[in-house]
Amino acid sequence: MADLTDFITNLESLPTLPSTSSRLVAMLGDRDVDLNEVSDIVRIDESLSLTVLKYANSAAYGSPGREFNLRESIIRLGNDMLLKIVLQQQMGRVVSRHCKAFEMSREAMWRSAIGGAVAAENLAKEHCPDDRDLCFIASLLRDVGKLVLDQKYGESYGESVANHLTKQTTYVDAERLAFDTDHAEVGAALCKHWQLPDRIVSAVRSHHEPPATGENHDTLIDVIHAADIISLWSGLGIGQDGLQYELAPHVKSSLSLSRRKAEREIASMWAAVRSIEETLGMNPGQNERSAA
Amino acid sequence: MESTVQQTSQTSSSKPHVVGVADLVVLKDPRAEIITHALGSCIGVTIFDPSTNVGGMLHFMLPDSKINSEKATDNPAMFADTGIPVLFKKAYELGAKKENLIVCAAGGAEVLSDGGHFKIGSRNRTVLRKIFWKNNVLLSADDTGGNNSRTLHLSLADGAVTVRNRGKGVPIWPI
Repeated sequence: MADLTDFITNLESLPTLPSTSSRLVAMLGDRDVDLNEVSDIVRIDESLSLTVLKYANSAAYGSPGREFNLRESIIRLGNDMLLKIVLQQQMGRVVSRHCKAFEMSREAMWRSAIGGAVAAENLAKEHCPDDRDLCFIASLLRDVGKLVLDQKYGESYGESVANHLTKQTTYVDAERLAFDTDHAEVGAALCKHWQLPDRIVSAVRSHHEPPATGENHDTLIDVIHAADIISLWSGLGIGQDGLQYELAPHVKSSLSLSRRKAEREIASMWAAVRSIEETLGMNPGQNERSAA
Repeated sequence: MESTVQQTSQTSSSKPHVVGVADLVVLKDPRAEIITHALGSCIGVTIFDPSTNVGGMLHFMLPDSKINSEKATDNPAMFADTGIPVLFKKAYELGAKKENLIVCAAGGAEVLSDGGHFKIGSRNRTVLRKIFWKNNVLLSADDTGGNNSRTLHLSLADGAVTVRNRGKGVPIWPI
């Protein structure tokens, strides 16, 4: 596709990252951020405030017999956790409707995003601990391009891709043949439009085709790629694209991915996703994919 | 964490009962429909006793609970070796008889070109068959393997099992 920027900005209803989120993402990247300022921004967003309070007073973070107010909650959780909460919540808002193009319910889209984010964070602990949070965020956003393609093409999208799918083509290849772009590239363009950091944009763009060597190689991208495959194995949010993606051989070896390790990650991921859903008051285990 | 195992007797609803990932439902209700979506490497198992209209569905993720026994205790439906016994036990509690049960399965797909290294779906299929073989249970029908996501549907009116694969619903039992 000639100009993805035009493609993105010309959409009638572009998935938006609310200004609250953009400001918080920028602020929370700074270790010396003024927590009073953070608290003031969070306070404006009633739903976000409630979620922050829920997390800080949950069994995992709270203290028995003590209830934290908003500012105390922000201190208790810390920058990194707060950033994750902000983006988790915003993804819930961005994923606001049934995704007809991929035949996925809103819940399935959200669960796929959060499942991949949890898996990426777990893998990052071992392979790039300094980038744990970036891995969580990039993985959370990795399929945001599906929402854009859904807005642009709706139900006709699936049929257009299906016309190009053969035993020799991956799903991404078929998307490119049908639209001259693919959901990863479109997602990266949207993240760029949201002014997210370049490494997140690159990870979203390359999450199905991580560069094996050279200056473009980034362990963060390898982690997002592996997390995406683990998310598929676990059955979290599989759409009409099914499991038609390849695990890059260099990622398998660089992350020392064995069957046993993959199975452990799958089991841990599902438990973590349910825990997040319970904290956010969602209904775990339901609406994996809307009946087609 | 609370178990997701549900057991309902003599209920009716116009909406199908949705079985989530790592979840199971057993019902005694001829008007009920049970469905699970997004079966990738995971496998969905249905059982149905036509003499009592007891039926159930399991959606398990992984073959072997030894990978994490704590999670298996917390949620037996996550694994084949812990979920399948619970599925059958709950059906027996509602009056189903083993000799009457019609058992079907779907799912167990693989991602493309994993080089036979992981075989998550294939392992699920193998362990499922091994458990059934050990317990003298025969699969009446199955639709497994490949690279596609499947939706599995069971009607407790007549035990009909349908698999939706790449947009097409195909009955797998009765054939």
